[in-house]
Amino acid sequence: MSKEEKIFRRLVIKTYHIENVCVADKTSIEGNSLIISLDKIDKIISNTAYIKDLKFEIIQPRQHDRWTNSIMDIIPISTKVLGKLGEGTTHTLTGVCVLLTGVDEIGNQVAEFGSSEGNLKEQLHLNRAGTPSDKDYIISCNVTLREGEGTNRKAILEVHKVCDVFIQEIRDQLKKIDSKSYTEKHVFYDKSRLNKKKVAIVKQVAGQGAMYDNQILPNEPSGYSGGRSIIDLGNAPVILTPNEYRDGALRAMT
Amino acid sequence: MGIGPSTKETTLHHFRDPLLDVVSNDEDIDLVGVIVVGTPQHNEDKYFVGKRTATWLEAIRVDGTIVSVDGWGNSHVDYANTIEEIGKRGIPVVGLSFVGTQANFVVSNQYMDTIVDFNKSKEGIETEVVGENNANYLDAKKALAFLKLKMRED
Repeated sequence: MSKEEKIFRRLVIKTYHIENVCVADKTSIEGNSLIISLDKIDKIISNTAYIKDLKFEIIQPRQHDRWTNSIMDIIPISTKVLGKLGEGTTHTLTGVCVLLTGVDEIGNQVAEFGSSEGNLKEQLHLNRAGTPSDKDYIISCNVTLREGEGTNRKAILEVHKVCDVFIQEIRDQLKKIDSKSYTEKHVFYDKSRLNKKKVAIVKQVAGQGAMYDNQILPNEPSGYSGGRSIIDLGNAPVILTPNEYRDGALRAMT
Repeated sequence: MGIGPSTKETTLHHFRDPLLDVVSNDEDIDLVGVIVVGTPQHNEDKYFVGKRTATWLEAIRVDGTIVSVDGWGNSHVDYANTIEEIGKRGIPVVGLSFVGTQANFVVSNQYMDTIVDFNKSKEGIETEVVGENNANYLDAKKALAFLKLKMRED
């Protein structure tokens, strides 16, 4: 260990690049192809209280000239393979992400302060940190809520939950992938650079209700299950290590 | 008023946040952590969480901090208050926020002299295009450069 640094813990993020996404009977990852199964969707819907319908579609790269309901979230597909959030090993897929959109059955868009429905080509600015690149596949998860439920916090939480149940099927395959077949490997350390300027980042996030909420420290990176809502935490400041934050400790529900 | 489509940070944004990348990779900075603070409804609660955030920063003896927000309007009440609480404690503070032409601060104070505006739209408005008015690497680098200057003066 160098005298200039004190290392606390290590996080390895391995990326697996996806160049093709298709639908088949069973969810799997074969080489650079992600195969998703939609067989369990009906079962997922049957266990919900506020959701009327749930539709998944694969949007090919650059095929964005199409209708979209208001964008609730864009979610990476990542999973813990070793350790808890912020340490150990994480596998993540690149070249694909999940686009969560919502509307209610009479056409009210699910949004809090302005909504983003319209032509996807015009409503999504590509190639930002928080949006897909122009070469990425998008798995569209479009939820139709029962009338008026778009402003009900419980309904919004249910939407995030069912989307997470779907993603978990992919995560379970991503856990089993050959760990040497990664595309890129990134190693991050939580560490102290001794005698350098001590700086903290403060992120002010939403915390009032439906579509104005965030979850902290879910079980899986960028997941829903196991997370704690900032509202339930009284909106009080919570400190994350840099590696917890970069390992998907914050789930946006705005 | 709160978080609109063009300023909201998605879960994917948090997963690969340029601000974290820039600050954690700077060899002159000892990044101690990321404080996540909510935006409550009532003013009393807004003051409570702002003060608690500043107290955390004082307790861990930081030399400086960058405060980022993805909402505006009413969210700026919390934002201004938190920055004031931090500034009052003599801690150098730099902000990152959407301002443009539409989101001029509803309240302001003497510690808000270095806010990096990450508006990207031509008109300076909430365009309802997801991802458009988000902080990128350049914004994060600007914020850190401002903070380094402020910490030097301190």
